Amino acid sequence: MSDHDHHTDTAPGEQENGHQDVASAVRNYLVGLVLAAALTAGSFWVASGPSALYTPGVPMALAALAIGQMGVHLAFFLHITTGPDNTNNVLALAFGVLIVGIVIAGSLWIMYHLNTNMMVPGNLMDVHTQPGL
Amino acid sequence: MLGKLSWSAIPLDQPIPLIASLVVVVALLAVLAWITIKGHWPYLWSEWITSVDHKRIGVMYCLLALIMLVRGFIDALMMRSQQAIAYGSQGYLPPEHFNQIFSAHGTIMIFLVAMPFVIGLMNFAVPLQLGVRDVAFPTFNSVSLWLTASAALLINMSLFIGEFAQTGWLVYPPLSELKFSPGVGVDYYLWAIQISGIGTLLTGINFVTTILKVRAPGMTLTRMPIFCWTALASSLLIVAAFPILTATLGMLLLDRYLGFHFFTVEAGGNPMMYINLIWAWGHPEVYILILPAFGVFSEVVSTFSGKPLFGYRSMIVATMAICVLSFFVWLHHFFTMGAGANVNGFFGVATMIIAVPTGVKIFNWLFTMWGGRIRFNTPLLWTIAFMVTFTIGGMTGVLLAIPPVDFVLHNSLFLVAHFHNVLIGGLLFGCFAGYNYWFPKAFGFKLDEKWGQAAFWFWVIGFYVAFMPLYVLGLEGMTRRMQSYDVAGWQPWLIVAAGGAALILCGILCQVGQLFVSIRNRAALRDHTGDPWDGRTLEWITASPPPVYNFAVLPNVTGEEAYWGLKQTALKRQRLSDLPAYEAIELPRNSPTGFVVAFFAVVTGFAFIWHIWWMVLVGLLGAFAVFVVFAWRDRSEYELRPEAVARIDHERRQARIAMVEGREPGIAVVGPADDTAQDPNQLSQWPGAHEEFKGPASKRIISAYGFWIFLLSDFVMFSGFYAAYAVLSHATAGGPGPKDLFDLTTVALETAFLLLSSFACGMATIASNVRNMLWTQVSYLITGLLGAAFLYLEVNEFARLLADGNGPDRSAFLSSFFALVGLHGLHVTVGLLWLGTMMAQVWTKGFRPDIMRRGLSFALFWHALDIIWVGIFTNVYLLGTSP
Repeated sequence: MSDHDHHTDTAPGEQENGHQDVASAVRNYLVGLVLAAALTAGSFWVASGPSALYTPGVPMALAALAIGQMGVHLAFFLHITTGPDNTNNVLALAFGVLIVGIVIAGSLWIMYHLNTNMMVPGNLMDVHTQPGL
Repeated sequence: MLGKLSWSAIPLDQPIPLIASLVVVVALLAVLAWITIKGHWPYLWSEWITSVDHKRIGVMYCLLALIMLVRGFIDALMMRSQQAIAYGSQGYLPPEHFNQIFSAHGTIMIFLVAMPFVIGLMNFAVPLQLGVRDVAFPTFNSVSLWLTASAALLINMSLFIGEFAQTGWLVYPPLSELKFSPGVGVDYYLWAIQISGIGTLLTGINFVTTILKVRAPGMTLTRMPIFCWTALASSLLIVAAFPILTATLGMLLLDRYLGFHFFTVEAGGNPMMYINLIWAWGHPEVYILILPAFGVFSEVVSTFSGKPLFGYRSMIVATMAICVLSFFVWLHHFFTMGAGANVNGFFGVATMIIAVPTGVKIFNWLFTMWGGRIRFNTPLLWTIAFMVTFTIGGMTGVLLAIPPVDFVLHNSLFLVAHFHNVLIGGLLFGCFAGYNYWFPKAFGFKLDEKWGQAAFWFWVIGFYVAFMPLYVLGLEGMTRRMQSYDVAGWQPWLIVAAGGAALILCGILCQVGQLFVSIRNRAALRDHTGDPWDGRTLEWITASPPPVYNFAVLPNVTGEEAYWGLKQTALKRQRLSDLPAYEAIELPRNSPTGFVVAFFAVVTGFAFIWHIWWMVLVGLLGAFAVFVVFAWRDRSEYELRPEAVARIDHERRQARIAMVEGREPGIAVVGPADDTAQDPNQLSQWPGAHEEFKGPASKRIISAYGFWIFLLSDFVMFSGFYAAYAVLSHATAGGPGPKDLFDLTTVALETAFLLLSSFACGMATIASNVRNMLWTQVSYLITGLLGAAFLYLEVNEFARLLADGNGPDRSAFLSSFFALVGLHGLHVTVGLLWLGTMMAQVWTKGFRPDIMRRGLSFALFWHALDIIWVGIFTNVYLLGTSP
């Protein structure tokens, strides 16, 4: 805002120019709070296993709700937007998300393989019970 | 009182380490005594130790790397000589000592030679090439340096006090677990690497922010020298990969210190998870190292061929392609450890694909030389040797990328030969090229050519003699890390390899000689113009050594090869650009923060290693106090008067005038005399190329962006713990599972507290933006109280679990649960400490810009903790208890 001087980028976390006045800035946080609370409530409701839901779909629903809520936090609390002055911040975020995805998905895929292929009776895995040790 | 530390920690019964460490101690004392007698301490303290100047920090990094290179090389000599004589005998190194040597060799060469060397070159050259005065966060830069030095101190201390790890440089569990490595060796490794890892992460954040936000006016991304691009890619990889290392080593520390079961062989722990995670860091790490070396070669080959770099655009694309692809290959380090055909196939192919952008680069360098006016100075010689050697190393790498081949060669000396081939032939040659190339810029005189070339030939020939036999030995079935062996056929090859190591020793001695001779003849080797190589990038426009502010006036960049364009114009007109209007320059003040923090880091690390708990507390409190003092300081910058700038710049201009008037030999107009002639390689038609870059961003943007990058790295660290939880959550070892333990009412309450706290923090941000003290403080207070309430519930939950005997030592599932949720709780705790300090600051100092900047970063941090919590309550609590 005051520091925007000659630069075209926005600092991450900085509220957009449209929220200069206090009332609209507060409103923005309030909307975020309500949305986040609603999504959280939704998650807890889904996890309680209501009969209205198809049980195998629960993990998927939880994932969708969680990702949605993360988006709400990013947009309303961290003020990450799709505006051109935010491109740099979004690109950095995208890189971070890519790496997080690779680490988690890659680990799960690899470890699933290893666990399946290296399946041995538990007592054989424990080197203390092996003969000769 | 002193934990595990006693007199028996000193290896009185082992003559080799004892004598070695005594020699080191005596040498160190001698140096310190000499400094004291000569009265150099005030100079060293004010000009170097507390300096936040990126050039000084770069030089100190390189110095650290060179000293550690000697240490690591002595280890190498010992291994080569041991193996040369250990056929059917024990040689002269007992197994437990030999194991420490190869572990220390790898650790030191990667973390304390390769990393500091490339980071040192980046520090020195990147801000100069970008045409700016310093990096984004000068004081943190000094912190990075001294934390790396702390790690060096700790690792070398292990020689004299205690022992080093005997587990190899990546301390694979279960061998590195407490049960099988009860000594302090692994702890030395873990704490040293954690400390240096923090330093490296800060460097990564610093350089990403510098390169993306702090550049000279007109320096658009596609006008940056390739070295800056490679530094950017390398820094991005640091930010993305080092948190994984921190997470992984953190888990091993929890195993060793608090009885967790991440990687143990009982209670459901999974050692393979360590190997998976450590290589998710380890493979990007090799690109962190090699990419800046590629950048050096690009600069050198273009300068000494007198041509613009061929295929600048493809160089950028190749660099960034390698940057991303490097995250898709880590499994090739453990093809043989049980993955199926799909996984091995995927990672094998991904590995081979990386060879493509690397090949593009090799061709670009060759075509740059093609038709150029080549000058065979030492930096170019290293570059040519690199191109040949690295290609061979790359080819053997592609061989190893084929899973069936890897099943034959895994952990053999073929592998050892391969990675030395790319690390020495790529990275180290690059560092030496950069060292010879930028030395005159750093010190104002060139390095001696004759000695430099002698060093070059000894190194290159020595490398081939030392490592080509290892390829043969690997194919003959010799595995790595053998203290002795019974195959007669191996010995001749190992003797040849030892001879190669001796040749490399001659190379190192020549380098020492080169430095010595060059300093003695510095008057004759003096670089008067600041442009000794007829360079093309902005670092050569300023004096050698550059003044503390680098550029009297920030250069205005209008195209690629910013300096080359300016120089050619000036040479044609035989006239320097007009005298600029000098303005006052603000520069960061020196700060002992880095040095003092590093001191406390050593204290903390040492105390942890030896289980001296009171000292741990002292160290941590000390480090925290330093940061508070640093945050509290009122003046962080000083001003250089315009008259002073003009006076210093006058001298440089005099030397320059001599140059543009053609009185300096070797520098002349090149190419078409037409000013408007377009190089087909220039990127003016690129999208975004017309969008001018307006110069360094404001401090608010710089600091928030840097913190944003830190947060992303924090997310990556959490992803390591998430992954561990996801993999281990079923490993309950017969104990209770999520359904038996978790109470959703508590979690719902915790979530509500955290959400409301986040909202209150938002209110504080708004209130501070309109400078309302009361509302700012009230909102911050509510933020803190809600955060504390969250913590209270979490601590209660943990206490209940522990009281029921369901602590982290119960099962791998509980270990990963406590670590993941506890890490988030630790973040909240740190946030509360930060909040308290900041509230006090706002209260006493008002809404000062630097405090406001910190407030913005705090808000980012606090809101980000919610995002992480959403992941936790979904994955851990809800998914764990749902039907």
